[in-house]
Order: sequence, then C-alpha cells, then structure tokens
Amino acid sequence: MSDVIVIGAGLAGLMAAYYAARAGERVKIVAKGLGATHWHAGTVDVLGYYPTAATPVARPLDTLRDLTRAQPQHPYALADGALDRALQDFVTLMQEVGLPYAGATSTGDNLWLPSPLGVARPTFLAPRAQRAGDLSRPEPMLIVGFQGWRDFYPTLIAENLNKQGHRARAELLPLDLISARRDVNTVQLATALDDPARVESLAAALRKVVQPGERIGLPAILGLDAHVTTLERLETQVGAPIFEIPTLPPSVPGIRLTNALRNRLRQLGVRIEINADVIGFRAEGDRVMWIESEASGRPLKHRAEKFILATGGILGGGINSDHTGKVWEVIFNLPLVAPANRGQWFRAHFFDPEGHPIFRAGVAVDREFQPIDARGARVFTNVWAVGNVLAHCDPVRERSLEGIALATARCALTIDH
Amino acid sequence: MHTTSWHSVGMTLDECIKCNICTAYCPVAAVTDKFPGPKYAGPQAQRFRESGQLQSPDFSVDYCSACRVCNEVCPSGVRIAEINARAKAQIVAERGIPLRNWFFGRNEQLGRIGSIAPHLANLGFHNPVSRYLAEKIMGVARHAPIPRWSTQGSFRKWFFSTPRLKSDKKVVYFHGCSTNYYEPCVGKAAVIVLEHLGYEVIVPPQNCCGLPMLNNGEFPAAEKLYRSNLEKLVPYADKGYPIIGTSVSCVLVLREEASEMLDLENEATRQLKAAMWDMMEWLRDLRERGELDMNFRELKMVLPYHVSCQARAHRMGRPALDVMTLIPGLDVREGNAKCCGLAGTYGYKVEKYEIAMKVGEEAFRFVRAQGDEVRFTTSDSEICRWQLEHGTHKACRAPIEIIAAAYGLYDLDKRQPI
Repeated sequence: MSDVIVIGAGLAGLMAAYYAARAGERVKIVAKGLGATHWHAGTVDVLGYYPTAATPVARPLDTLRDLTRAQPQHPYALADGALDRALQDFVTLMQEVGLPYAGATSTGDNLWLPSPLGVARPTFLAPRAQRAGDLSRPEPMLIVGFQGWRDFYPTLIAENLNKQGHRARAELLPLDLISARRDVNTVQLATALDDPARVESLAAALRKVVQPGERIGLPAILGLDAHVTTLERLETQVGAPIFEIPTLPPSVPGIRLTNALRNRLRQLGVRIEINADVIGFRAEGDRVMWIESEASGRPLKHRAEKFILATGGILGGGINSDHTGKVWEVIFNLPLVAPANRGQWFRAHFFDPEGHPIFRAGVAVDREFQPIDARGARVFTNVWAVGNVLAHCDPVRERSLEGIALATARCALTIDH
Repeated sequence: MHTTSWHSVGMTLDECIKCNICTAYCPVAAVTDKFPGPKYAGPQAQRFRESGQLQSPDFSVDYCSACRVCNEVCPSGVRIAEINARAKAQIVAERGIPLRNWFFGRNEQLGRIGSIAPHLANLGFHNPVSRYLAEKIMGVARHAPIPRWSTQGSFRKWFFSTPRLKSDKKVVYFHGCSTNYYEPCVGKAAVIVLEHLGYEVIVPPQNCCGLPMLNNGEFPAAEKLYRSNLEKLVPYADKGYPIIGTSVSCVLVLREEASEMLDLENEATRQLKAAMWDMMEWLRDLRERGELDMNFRELKMVLPYHVSCQARAHRMGRPALDVMTLIPGLDVREGNAKCCGLAGTYGYKVEKYEIAMKVGEEAFRFVRAQGDEVRFTTSDSEICRWQLEHGTHKACRAPIEIIAAAYGLYDLDKRQPI
C-alpha cells in the first residue's frame, strides 16, 4: 500500500514523486516505459517563444507575466508563483545529486545554445556541460565530430552557426579514438568515455586541432556515470572550454538527468515500477481506490490514497487519438479540452505562429491541479494532473516543456512546501 | 516461407517511433558489436521479413539473449522480444537447427538421463577433459555454469516417497525440469512452506515448459510440449486449484509466452493463464488477503537480491521483495542490474559465453558492493542463481528457500528441510 502513486516516469512524474517523498509520503511510480527524458536535450526550457511575437523570448520570467495575463488557464497561470521556487528546488536538487545545472550569466535571461543542426535554441537552465556553448559568448567555436559516426554532423552545425553570425569551424576525428566498435550509439560512446584512458586519447587529439582562443563543441557523449569527472578531465587536459551539443536520441544528457533523479528517489524509498501499463482503475464515488496494470497472469492492483497523473501528452502517450478525431486521456478517461472534430486539429500552415489547436488539447485542472470537467467541477477528489498532459498550453511550440513539468509537479497534492 | 503468423505482435511494430531507448538499455548491445540492438534486429529488420520474403534479412538476431529488457523500457509498448523470437524461429525454419541448440532444447531428457546415475553423470560431464571436448566438438562453453545433476534423487522421487499433508485446501505445484533434476531443494522448500500454510500440494504429471526450444527457435517442438502441459494442467484449473510454480521463466512461458509466440490463444490457454501463479506472487496475494502466517523467525543478514529479467518480464511488481521484506532482521537489498547474462541457454554457447559474462558484470558488481560478509544472495530464476554463483563465488538461494528458512523449516546452508 502506498500513500501516493505517480503514473509516469518523465520529468514531471519524477519530480512529483520527489516532492511527495520529501513531504514524507510513501510513494510508488508506475510507468509504461522509460520517459520522454530520453528524447530531450537535458535542458530546462521555461519559455522560448511567445505565441505570435516576432522575436524569441529574452527574459522568460518577465514575459511570463504577459502570458499568464493573456492566458489565465495556462498551467503557468494556474501554478502562480510556483515556477520560481520549482526552478530553485531543481537547481538545489541537481547540485545535491552531483549533476549541477545553471542559467545564463545574467540572471533571468534565456541561454542560447546550439541545436544538433547548429540552430540557436533558447533554454533557461542547462547542465554544466552545455553552458560553454552559450552563443552570446564571443569565442569562436570548433565543432568536433567523429568519422563515420552517423549521429552527429559537425560540418553542418558549423555552417549553420556561421550563417547565424557565430564563428565556428568543424573537424572530424577518427572514431577509434574513443571506441573500438564499428557501429555505436550515443550511450555506448558515453560509457566508453567513462574510461580515463579514452579521455586522455581524445584530449591528445583535440590539443592538435584546437587553436588558441577557441572553445570546443562535442556531441553529448562525454561520460555517463562518470560524466562530471570526464568533463573536468577533458577540459584540464585540452586547456580549452568544452561544451556538449545534444544528439539524436537516445539523449545522454536526458539519461543522466533521469538516472540522477531515479537514484535520489530510490534513496528516498520510492519504488519505481516500469513496464506497468495501466489498463484500469476503480473509483468509489469521487475517489479513485486503485489502478491496475497489465501483467502476464492477472492485472496488478496498485492501491493508494492519492494519484498523480504524469503520463505526458500525445508523444508521451498520456493522450491518444484515432482517425475519427476522437481524443482521450488514457488512464482515467478524464474529460479533455480538445478540438470538437478532426477538421479543427490543424491550421492551414504548418508553421502558423498560433500553433495547432490539437497540441493544446489536454486535461483541464483547477488551481489545485485537480482535473475538472467542462462545468469546472472536480472529477475525483484524490487525483492530480501535472506536466504535458495538461490542456491550454503548447509546450513544444512555446519551448516550455520542462518549466511546466517542474512548476506543476510542485503544485501536485497541495503540499505546503 | 513463414511458418508462423505475426498477428499478436505485428500491430505493435507500428508503435515503434525509433526513439532508441531499447538500444540504450540492451545489455547485449552494450557489450558486443555482434548484436546491433533491439530496434535494428526487431522492429526495423521486421519490415524486411514480411510479405513472403524468402530469406531472413540478417542473422544478428541470433545474438539476442531474450532477456526482454527492451520490452520493459519501451515507452510505446512494442513487443520487441517476441518479434526477435519469431525471427529466430524463421531462421531455424529456413536453415535448420545446430545440433548443440537441439540438445539445449531437450534439457528435460538430459536431466532424466543424467539422473539415472547422477554421480557418474557429473563425473563424466563435469571434468576438464569432457568440458574441453564439449566446447571443441559441440560449442558448449567450457567454463559456463552448467548445473550438476542432483545426487539426492529427483524432486518427484522425494515428493512421492514421503508422507504428505492432506487438506481441503489444495494447490498444484509446477516444479519444472530444473527443480526436478538439478535443484530439488527448491521444490522441497516450496512444498514445506505450502504445507506449513495448510495446503495440500498436488504434483501432477508435467513436462518441460518449452522455453529452451522457444529461445532456440524450435517452435514446432515447443508447441508439442506446451500442448502436452495444457492437457495435463487445465483439468486442475477447471477445478479451481491455483497452479503455482517456483521457476519464474517456466511460469512466464505457461501463462503468456508460449501461447503468444505460437499463436495459440484459446479457451484452454486462457484458463491456464488465469490459474498459474508465481510462488512469490501467490504468497504476496495471501498476505494481501491476511492469510499469510506472519510468524517469521529473525534472519539477521544482508541479502543482495538480483531481480531476474524473467521476473520483471511478468510485470507483476516485485513480489519476492514484498514477501522477503516481511522477515525480521533481513536486510534485503534490491539490485538494478538488467540481466545476469546467462539468459536461458545463451551463455552456455561458446560464441556467447564472454558476452554473457560481460553482461553479468553489472549484477556481480552489485553483489560485491554489498560487502564481504554477505553469505547468500538470492534471485528468482535458477539460471540467474547459477550465473551469480559463477560470477561472485557466493551461494545463491531461491526466494522460497529464504521464506522456508524464516519459518524455521529449512537449512539454508545444507539446502534441505529441517
């Protein structure tokens, strides 16, 4: 028996579990698979683009005031004030678990970091390994990749950076410097670079190609378990600032973040059940009594006092749809805010600055983050919803995914922090 | 030439979004180039196995160990391990089965023959010369932890030659080949615990669950074994008796894997599925109903617990952990290793032994990290127990042996009832 069950193991679910465990609850996480953290860059976006504004957001916390005034149902508006504290909590937590995060040099500004295509992308907090990639810094960049490795293209990145006015050039090093394998993915390379001997051979090769005053951008594979040591070693041995650029999935920065949080949760006594696909639940009156997950023999019941829904949006699997235009929430079949029919899912232009209505579909909640129906009435007294399953936001377009996850996770259970 | 249909796993293929989480967690791809990873060997290569294509596109799927970690971590619910198993069956159907793998599929017969004269069989097979020859001639890795035949007689012989409890409350016990011929102590522990709880234990005729054949791509032969078990066990399910197994992998085959991989879902398979229990899952259920005897003796020790990949594949939570943590004084420590590496008959194969040992290193490291004073470890599957003992030189016991010891019924050192 748990006090609290969190459904979903993405950033919102892990953080909601953290807050509940910190408040002394017995917590279990039930998740279908590993979360969307494995797909994203490992950074914390708060607000990168304001809908309809011509330029990207420079100071997200300031712009948020306009956003919450204009969109009073937006999760940021409902989480009123929680974001600041959630960001501080996150920075403190990541410091504790040895994977420090920080923001731009000037407090409150967005950081601009190179994407895997060399495009400048706004984010708010980045792991230490990505910070030297800050595009507001003047030093020219040397982008380094590995010959024959299909997941990272330094020439393309450098070309695109130059087009945007950032000085950059590319170098390719032999792949066998860091791996003896012929076909290798990001995680395997990161594991290889936990080995100090490999770091040394990479450093020697980098010293030969780097020019004085340059900073070096590498794919985000600089160690997995020993990441922080690997990064420090490499910087010391090369004598130049080094930064990571996120790669195609699986994303090593996202995996480091997940591992760090999962380890901390285990220390707090949180049980994490993955491969648990929730297929049913039982409610008595307005209370959910248990959920059950699919299993080899008979469904496995999970009883708890309180349930936190952190299953994500359409990509994360918390919301599903079919070709007829039906859209539904997959666990409790909660009422959804969604376009009335399929013809209203998309606007005519793919890059319409208003975004597409279907991506704002989700679960509507009240100020306590408890799901409500169309009339504004609470559906269950002991269910909360956090993260990308929420309605009235478009996290991919806004670049607000992790900010919403952190802020709303802090609001779940109405804990007095 | 498709000998098997694809309906029950085929649809999940389209759920794959190529996110590569499976490849990132695959314990085999992590240590060898010979296996490109679940995404490539499974959903990706599957596109080329469809629609009457004559040849399998690639044979690297043979290096899949069937540990099912890919299924476990997939956020989209793709049944990757099943896709791989069927791909192996297609290769066997096209090219035949190597003699060694044919033997591995028949561990029940090997168990029975060796048990006729177990001392002689152990001496004959478990000596450096035989093992060297077995490696050179048959491809059976000479250092692999192949079990020894029990010299105390089979489990069935013990069960039917000792007076047993009669009761109105009845359960059926599925022991599996390994318990019968190699680890009868596990079956004895199960029986004495069940009787201690007031249940009469029925041990019906039964045969190998077919897992070694499924893993080696011999689907038609595995189907015969499965159908035979259905005939023998479904009458008990009809009577409403729970059918309990101590081997997590046998239970998984009987209630899910066989019917799914072989496309045999029908009323009988559903009945068996509903009646089968893993031993620890059943004890946890008793506990939840308030019927488990809670008078455990104190067992003061640190007990590293390697959760078998086959136990996780059940998606039934951590029943062994839930029950063992009820024992006073027992400090059960759950490891996070993905797989012990041995994975059925995988690590017995000479070309895969090194891979299996590298995969197992994560579990061995976990055990070592719990300190030198650790005397016993525990793990759900016999395969993991043999591999853990091989890799750590510490005795490994089944969770049911720990429970039997905590009831004061069983000697963990001598591995026998008190």
